[in-house]
Amino acid sequence: MSQTMPTAKQRRLRSLLFWAVPALLLLLPFATNPYTQFIANGMLISALVTLGFTLVIGNLGQLAFANTAFFGIGAYGSAILAAKLGLPWLLTIPLAGALGALGGFLASAAALRGIRSYYLAIITLAFGELMRWGYLHAKPLTGGTDGMPMPPETLFGTSFSSDTLKFYVFLAVTVLLVKATLNLMRSRFGRAVMAVRENEVATASLAIPTSRVILVTFMWSGFVVGCAGALFSRHVGYVFPESFGMLHLIASFAMVLVGGLGSVLGAVLGAVLLTALPEYLRAFPGMEELFFGLIVAAVLVLMPMGLASLLRRLSPIFVERFYREAP
Amino acid sequence: MLMQLTLGGLSQGMIYALIALSLTVVYRSTTVVNFGHGDFVMAGAFVSYVLVVLAGVAFLPAAALSMIAMFVLGVLFNRGLVRPIQGGPHIGLALMCIAAGYVLRGIARMVWGREVLPMPAVFDMQPIFIGNLVITGDAVFIIGTVLVLLVLFFGLMAMTDLGKMVQAVYQSPRGARLIGLNVDRFNDFSWGIGAALGALGGILVAPVSLLHPDLGASFLIKGFAAMTLGGFGSLGGAVLGGVLLGIAEQYAGAYLDSALIEITAYLVIVAVLFIRPQGLFGRKAVVKV
Repeated sequence: MSQTMPTAKQRRLRSLLFWAVPALLLLLPFATNPYTQFIANGMLISALVTLGFTLVIGNLGQLAFANTAFFGIGAYGSAILAAKLGLPWLLTIPLAGALGALGGFLASAAALRGIRSYYLAIITLAFGELMRWGYLHAKPLTGGTDGMPMPPETLFGTSFSSDTLKFYVFLAVTVLLVKATLNLMRSRFGRAVMAVRENEVATASLAIPTSRVILVTFMWSGFVVGCAGALFSRHVGYVFPESFGMLHLIASFAMVLVGGLGSVLGAVLGAVLLTALPEYLRAFPGMEELFFGLIVAAVLVLMPMGLASLLRRLSPIFVERFYREAP
Repeated sequence: MLMQLTLGGLSQGMIYALIALSLTVVYRSTTVVNFGHGDFVMAGAFVSYVLVVLAGVAFLPAAALSMIAMFVLGVLFNRGLVRPIQGGPHIGLALMCIAAGYVLRGIARMVWGREVLPMPAVFDMQPIFIGNLVITGDAVFIIGTVLVLLVLFFGLMAMTDLGKMVQAVYQSPRGARLIGLNVDRFNDFSWGIGAALGALGGILVAPVSLLHPDLGASFLIKGFAAMTLGGFGSLGGAVLGGVLLGIAEQYAGAYLDSALIEITAYLVIVAVLFIRPQGLFGRKAVVKV
């Protein structure tokens, strides 16, 4: 790694910055109208989805596209637990995360059987589509094509239809999971994840249990994205099979790439930048697909390491331990 | 009943075979799996639709023109977008292909929106009745065209040096370069052929199904399932896998549950990769650490 690591002083500044951002964001609902607030809420969800995705394809370097499946599992899990079992929505967030982690476990079972590279991509794509087929056909549980509504709920007397209240909950969950992921990736475990990406055999020969590293990364990715799914079900108030199709996948790709593969900061940045635009494009059929497709192609050729690489060059504050300079 | 299902499966399977074959052609020479191939298939169908319905060209010349157009698109895609990142990791290449697919799909949707377009029937032939078996003109047309094409394709591979060149580039691009093969041009050619064959798949299904911008997504998965079943990278395996998948879908739909038709391909992928990852004729597919 040619990059200079941040000094102790810079690290303190960085942790100050890290907490300053959510602190400032607490004020955001006073500066928004209902529509921009709704979009801001969507950004937080995208940030978590992108974060979970980049862990597997960027940090672990596995070509696994099960992200959309985790997201759907989380959203449906939360909606079913809330609507059919009457659990309070807040409680369904970690449960949806656990279901997502279970999805991650299944996806990693493929990787651990030695199914890698394109095979892993194909089997995880199939996994996502099988799940979508399940949502469509498990009518009594999921409402089939009609989808299912989230039950109305209140917290401290405020209804959860309030986007401001949702924002504070979303923000808390996002900050918690981003911080936890940053710490995880800075730990010994995070270094092992990167080592597996660079050379699995060499990593195994250092007595690092590579299977366990892969398993845990997939499960953590599933947990983060599953939680995001739970937020999503409340965000939209309604869960449809269509939300978890291929368009969601390309949007996640674009966010991961624009931010920078394998960068936590990049995942958040990419999500924030790319969540708002499709809202404006939605009126024109096809524009979303065209737009995300062109962005992914352009980033791959022109800036393969994404925005995070530019920031790293700007200041060592933005150096995370785990990234790859050349793709 | 069984015969009728087999015939229906065969005619669907021929399309899958064609798509799996076109994916394999690209994969063997460039080691890139075109995750946007479904949309190339869709684009081929739409180009022929435009020529036939809007420009009034007859079906056969329209099909030929559409294949040529897709050949050119395949070459341009390889030169402009794949080659610059060819040395990079698989992830980048896979994402690039997906991105290209979405661009094609976005364009189709911009023009046609959420409309579903019917393609006029090409072959106005009275169905043939043999006992209980009904043979439609479309089935004859699809199976016949693909068979002719397969004979031509495998004939060329076996009779000319082309087959050896494909093998050489597949085994070692660097070695192929050393013996004087122009690997870059060969890759261009493979992308072109892959795109054109995929387009033909789209052109053949167009008259028997409806056209819409999302047409490609399901064919991509069918193509993958066929490749996986036949063995990734095996040309003959891709064809056999496609035919078997087409027939399996029909059987599963008729004897088990019609909802299973949509997911037979996914189940095949999962089952093959867990039970026999190398498929019927493939090489070792599993990484052991």
